[in-house]
Amino acid sequence: MPHIVRSTIVNAPTDTVWNVLRDFNGHDRWHPAVATSAIERAQAADKIGCVRRFKLKDGSELREQLLALSDLEQTFSYCLLDTPIPMFNYVAHVRLLPVTDGDRTFWQWESRFTTRPDDRDGITQMVAEQMYQAGFEAVRRHLKETA
Amino acid sequence: MARVYVSTVVNARNDRVWARVRDFNGLPNWHPAIAESRIEGGDPADKIGCVRDFRLRNGDRIREKLLGLSDYEMFCTYSILESPMGVENYVATLRLTPVTDGDQTFLEWTAEFDCAPERETELVGNIGAGVFQGGFDALKRAFGG
Repeated sequence: MPHIVRSTIVNAPTDTVWNVLRDFNGHDRWHPAVATSAIERAQAADKIGCVRRFKLKDGSELREQLLALSDLEQTFSYCLLDTPIPMFNYVAHVRLLPVTDGDRTFWQWESRFTTRPDDRDGITQMVAEQMYQAGFEAVRRHLKETA
Repeated sequence: MARVYVSTVVNARNDRVWARVRDFNGLPNWHPAIAESRIEGGDPADKIGCVRDFRLRNGDRIREKLLGLSDYEMFCTYSILESPMGVENYVATLRLTPVTDGDQTFLEWTAEFDCAPERETELVGNIGAGVFQGGFDALKRAFGG
């Protein structure tokens, strides 16, 4: 089972970064791959079990469900319900930890999933680079623009 | 119960940082406050339950017991058996986590203990900003940032 872990340091306090990340319906405001985001059935974006529907910039659509969200731990977890690529059993976890030395943020994004052997390396690379690493850079830019 | 949490980022891969801090008998090699250390009873320094007896540069003597050590998860947990600090039930953990973006290392050093209420602020400051951050600063210098 592929296991992806990416982490970075953001030059802002965890509360500032968490403000951006905790909105399960807000990724279209900062992630370059996401064109639009909507929560199904008009549920609140911090209701556990809510489903977000993404339209990606390339036109494809996917649905993801919020599994856990903690303001205390500054973590959330979600799984993929529908996707146009052959990715199954995808569960991802995001967590923030304070870097007290300099009041910065450690941000980790990790996931496990199953796929066909032939697609394994390509999908791993795509998720790690185009979703996670690109997400890190995008949040850094977003925080600069909204500062 | 008092709690200390101090964390930093060191500009080196986590396996290199771990190699420097995993030795339970190796504090004098990297922590500027520690003058000398030995393991009691001739035990190996990575035997769970071993006791280190070390002396600070200010003359204080502390005995600590190794409770947990993981090369896989890169953490080390220990308790204080004897110290002049006036703490009870002191358990601390030093943990390393990779920062994949730039090949750096995220270090967390936490401690929990009981003490007289009027001494809590002073002790949390001494342990956190003093001992733990002092060790982090030395590691940052050793690894160039």
